[in-house]
Amino acid sequence: MTGELPAALAAEYAAIFAYGPIGVRLTGAEQDAARAAEAAHRSLRDALVLTLNGTGLPPAAPAYRLPEPVVDRAAALRVAIAVEEKAGAVWRAALTATVGAQRRQALDALTGCAVRATRWRRFAKVDPITVTFPGKIPS
Amino acid sequence: MLGFGAVLLAGAAGGCGLLDRGPDEPPPPDPLLPLADEAGRLAVSYRLAATDFPDRAATLTPIAEAHDAHAKELARIMATAAPSPAGSASAGAETGTVEDRIEALRVAEKAGYQAAIQACLAAPAHRAALVGSIAAARATHLEALK
Repeated sequence: MTGELPAALAAEYAAIFAYGPIGVRLTGAEQDAARAAEAAHRSLRDALVLTLNGTGLPPAAPAYRLPEPVVDRAAALRVAIAVEEKAGAVWRAALTATVGAQRRQALDALTGCAVRATRWRRFAKVDPITVTFPGKIPS
Repeated sequence: MLGFGAVLLAGAAGGCGLLDRGPDEPPPPDPLLPLADEAGRLAVSYRLAATDFPDRAATLTPIAEAHDAHAKELARIMATAAPSPAGSASAGAETGTVEDRIEALRVAEKAGYQAAIQACLAAPAHRAALVGSIAAARATHLEALK
């Protein structure tokens, strides 16, 4: 294994951090979605900690840089989309460095990020709500 | 009408010198051929539904375009010719209410998602990212159909 899974762990720490400020700018179904997304990222983090146990885990940082200040609902939705796209890209990269159960873990994580990003685009009325190659960084 | 995979298989078998096999022993098909063929069929089905139900075109057309892009990218990494939408059309007559058609798309997409998962898990490292991305895309299509 190279650095892909530790990078995924760092991305999960960052996603968990981001959903704090995101959640407080949302209400109703959107806030519920933020809570569910944060819980999903916590589960991914916990699973990764188990996977990487004893291999030198990267520590969580006290804070992470967000793509933009989360000053209102619109910004919260944009940041949520960005968080899921960034985490998805890291998990996509992990597919090439894994086999078997670890690859399945990476694929499920990529898929989860992609589906959550789709839901956030729907809330934000971004058209289209899907992207062609989830996790692929535009060249 | 032949599907994309069948056309590719025929093309590959028609070539000579591939791995020095005899004329009666065609090379094994690329394991990603079924995924590419399926992407072509899904693209056609979504496009037909978008044409028949214009009020759903904003949702269905981007998904059709995504499946087309998936088929072309799969063809690229298999080093085969890109599929043509016409060559992928084996869906036959598609009729029914909009609800029926959306449900049929959902069933086909779900089957395609499961197939892409298995293809990703079996893929060599240099193909895993693309195939995994296609699997994830198919999951998002199911979300978009809700």
